Amino acid sequence: MSTSELFTFRNRHFSLAVGITAAILIVTAIAGFLVLPFAQPWVQFANVWDAICSAAGVPQRAPKVTVPEQSTRLSEVVLTSSTLARPSQEGIGRGATLAQRCAICHGPTGVSRADSPNLAGQYAAVIYKQLLDFRSGARTNAVMSPFAVNLTDQEIADLSHYYAYLPRLPAYHPTPQLPKPSIVIYGAPMRGIAPCGSCHGSLDNKIGSPWLEGQSEAYMKAQLQAFASGERRNDISQQMRNIARAMTPQEIDQAASYYASQPPDVVKAVD
Amino acid sequence: MLVNRKLILAHFWLAFAVFGIALTLGAWQMFIRSPIGTWLSNPELYYRSLTAHGTVMGYVFPTLVAMGFGYAISEAALQQRLVGVRWAWAGFWLIVAGSVMAVIPIALGRASVLYTFYPPLIGNVFYYLGVVLVVVGSWIWVALMSVNLRVWRKAHPGAPVPLAMFANVAGSYLWAWTAVGAALELLLQIIPVAAGLKSTIDAGLARVLFSWTLHAIVYFWLMPTYIAYYTIVPRAIGGRVYSDSMARISFILFLVVAMPIGMHHTFADPQVGAGFKFIHSAFTALVALPTLLTVFTICASVEIAARLRGGRGLFGWIRALPWDNPMMLALAFSFVMLGFGGAGGLINMSYQLDASIHNTQWITGHFHLIFGGAIVIMYFAIAYDLWPHLTGRELIDLRLIRTQLWLWFVGMIVTTFPWHWVGILGMPRRMAYFDFGDPAIAPQALSVTFSAIGGFILLASGILFIVILARGMRAPRADAGPYQFALAVHQPTTVPVALNTHGLWVALMIALTLTNYGYPILTLALSEGTSVPAVYVGAQ
Amino acid sequence: MSTEQAHGSAEVAARVERRWATIAVIIIVMMALLAAFAGIHRATMPQPRVETIDPARLHLSGEFVESNLGSVLEANGNVTVRAIGQQYSFTPACILVPADTPITLRATSADVVHGILIQGTNVNTMLVPGYISEQPMRFARTGDYLMPCQEFCSFGHEGMWGKVKVIDKAEFAGRAKGGGRLSCVGQ
Repeated sequence: MSTSELFTFRNRHFSLAVGITAAILIVTAIAGFLVLPFAQPWVQFANVWDAICSAAGVPQRAPKVTVPEQSTRLSEVVLTSSTLARPSQEGIGRGATLAQRCAICHGPTGVSRADSPNLAGQYAAVIYKQLLDFRSGARTNAVMSPFAVNLTDQEIADLSHYYAYLPRLPAYHPTPQLPKPSIVIYGAPMRGIAPCGSCHGSLDNKIGSPWLEGQSEAYMKAQLQAFASGERRNDISQQMRNIARAMTPQEIDQAASYYASQPPDVVKAVD
Repeated sequence: MLVNRKLILAHFWLAFAVFGIALTLGAWQMFIRSPIGTWLSNPELYYRSLTAHGTVMGYVFPTLVAMGFGYAISEAALQQRLVGVRWAWAGFWLIVAGSVMAVIPIALGRASVLYTFYPPLIGNVFYYLGVVLVVVGSWIWVALMSVNLRVWRKAHPGAPVPLAMFANVAGSYLWAWTAVGAALELLLQIIPVAAGLKSTIDAGLARVLFSWTLHAIVYFWLMPTYIAYYTIVPRAIGGRVYSDSMARISFILFLVVAMPIGMHHTFADPQVGAGFKFIHSAFTALVALPTLLTVFTICASVEIAARLRGGRGLFGWIRALPWDNPMMLALAFSFVMLGFGGAGGLINMSYQLDASIHNTQWITGHFHLIFGGAIVIMYFAIAYDLWPHLTGRELIDLRLIRTQLWLWFVGMIVTTFPWHWVGILGMPRRMAYFDFGDPAIAPQALSVTFSAIGGFILLASGILFIVILARGMRAPRADAGPYQFALAVHQPTTVPVALNTHGLWVALMIALTLTNYGYPILTLALSEGTSVPAVYVGAQ
Repeated sequence: MSTEQAHGSAEVAARVERRWATIAVIIIVMMALLAAFAGIHRATMPQPRVETIDPARLHLSGEFVESNLGSVLEANGNVTVRAIGQQYSFTPACILVPADTPITLRATSADVVHGILIQGTNVNTMLVPGYISEQPMRFARTGDYLMPCQEFCSFGHEGMWGKVKVIDKAEFAGRAKGGGRLSCVGQ
């Protein structure tokens, strides 16, 4: 009872097992790589070799297509989880110096007394992306755009790191905390709206999405309306327009006033 | 001869304890996303629970059952003390450590990626390391099963290996090899990213590697059940195994064809070539063969028992079966669920039919019916059968046992049949919440409600099961005698080498893996620019 | 039982067993042939090619830039739909297609694994980041269809539902005259 008795074609079990397995493999391979590709008249292959390679799954780059011109300038920022992943102390320091000119609207501690966004403790990728978009013109604002146009890539990164580094402070909008409205808890699945928190920080953070707690109600409402109408379109591949368009005006009001009334301590950290 | 009873009991108790927890989570999930539950306003808790449920039910529970049962088979079938008891305990504690390590990040919401991992979603690294430890612990068991068989062979040169042990070792080899796919995915792809050493991952390759594990793991779960069909049921109901060699062939076929078929899980994936999808589909059809053979052999074996008990007529013998025997009841339930589940499986097997139900609730219904139903109900039966031998005490209340089995069967049918149905209607899987108030999906609400009720029946049955076993630990002492496996009608005196050893079949299993997976894995691993940025869950 | 009898009964058992094994093999071969036939006859086959793309740069260049997403009527009368899935929506969120027309859906993911499933049809494909999914479709009935994401894509998965609107062929051709990419977003 040794392997030499087993692994030889003299052993009936061996020859049968190997033979049947090989036969099934060959038959299915011929069917899968040759017969079926050519049995599909709606697919064109250059030659037999192309058919076999395609059936085997050799990765190919997508063919070039001509695409219509964009009617307006859109965001050209590439965001991944490693964008701005490693802040340096020097960068934060440089950012602090640069941020002095932002203080007039965004507050000396990064918390705005006007209806500008609070930036203290905001995710770095958010500030980074919006500054780049203001600079490129993908997002425009009469006050903000002139500040952004002259910033270098390094300055934008430094500012982002600086604001992300600041502690999250309660906002200057002293309203009583409101209960969570249905649109924030559940979203509206059948209209394609996920719960706000699944991107905006309280459940999870989708890279590039800001946390919203304590932001100005007027600001958030205006942005949601701008997304809904298509006036603002620097969200990559319509990720926010898809949501805002599906929201009712009441839901926009509810979401904006709810978030404005919240303290920033439920927001998850990103490191 | 069961010497290391503590070892076996430890495996079973841990298995059933974690099963109880995961079952509770499962029932809660069914309830909370059904129209009768009030939604708890946080979808993340649902996905957390789902990750825990899947991880425990997929990796920890069946592995522990297979291990405990495997040690029992090794001692009882070979009539030989377990060799390497210390190693066995080391494996057990590795599984305990791995489970704890995996569960902590899940409980903290740092690893809500579901048990199927889904890169480029990346959770906390300790979750993945915990899963790796569980697998490593189980590999110790694989090695021990092989060593014990080798020791026995030395003492009994040329003798036929007892069927139970032959099948048990086949199952262990299947597991050892099928776990390699997920192990490669974890060690080479996910863990480096989760640990922060890399920031990109090839999601397509990861899915292919996972499919290597994901299908054959089901046959690893199935092994204890099939071993029970062949080697426990006929003895328990007073019959004999119809054919010893057919049984061996079934287990061998599982070993060879359970592995190279996993890509039917990636039918709808864009990163796998159509040719390989077809080959895997064809081999998936083949895996029905050992099951069809088993159905025949077991039905014939049961008929033998019935006729020995005086059953007559073409079908009249069915009435002569010992229906008050829990083993008989479990087998019948298991076969019914296997029949329905298998029919569903035939649908998943073909690309064309699968397209209508891929990733719908049909799939969840399907594997709950097969695994939770046909397989787990035999785990219960195995525990009931072994318990008196492990504890030295009698399980007195047969009526309670029958009630438990009935509840499980009814619960599983009530849960999974509507589940299949909403799948056909196109209800997607793994959603924390459905707005049944919307007229577009309101018609599904009733079916989902039934499923949730079924979930509670299952929970009741699970609790009853644990109560029965716990009471069995304190019942009056009784000597159950030596543990025995069923004999064949024609007990073999000699068996051909090929049917008495695993070498040829393991070689074929590996060869088919290379032919069916080698090229797709290599081509994806070597192609440039298919790695994508990781997305860390839970904003960590 | 004498040895001779035992021998005889073993032979009977083996014969019955062989018959059953043959039946089992025939069942399996029939099923495989049926699947192959259905695939060819009903034109439902896996996508023929594996194509790759960088998910982080979809919006910069290539066929999945924003201005190219949606449905376009090709010169041969077929329709091509391009769409992406991202956490947690499809773009376009509402896909507009004509009835009784061969349609090619080309889609990919911008971040994690998603899936496209059109309820009431057998249109069902994964969106794996890094790869392009292609699926032929044809709708016999006009009307609205739900298109949920069918794969777990993190905590907002349950809110990722798109729509498909199938309209009359002539109406679609009318709308396509203006050029550009069609969708039913905002309608």
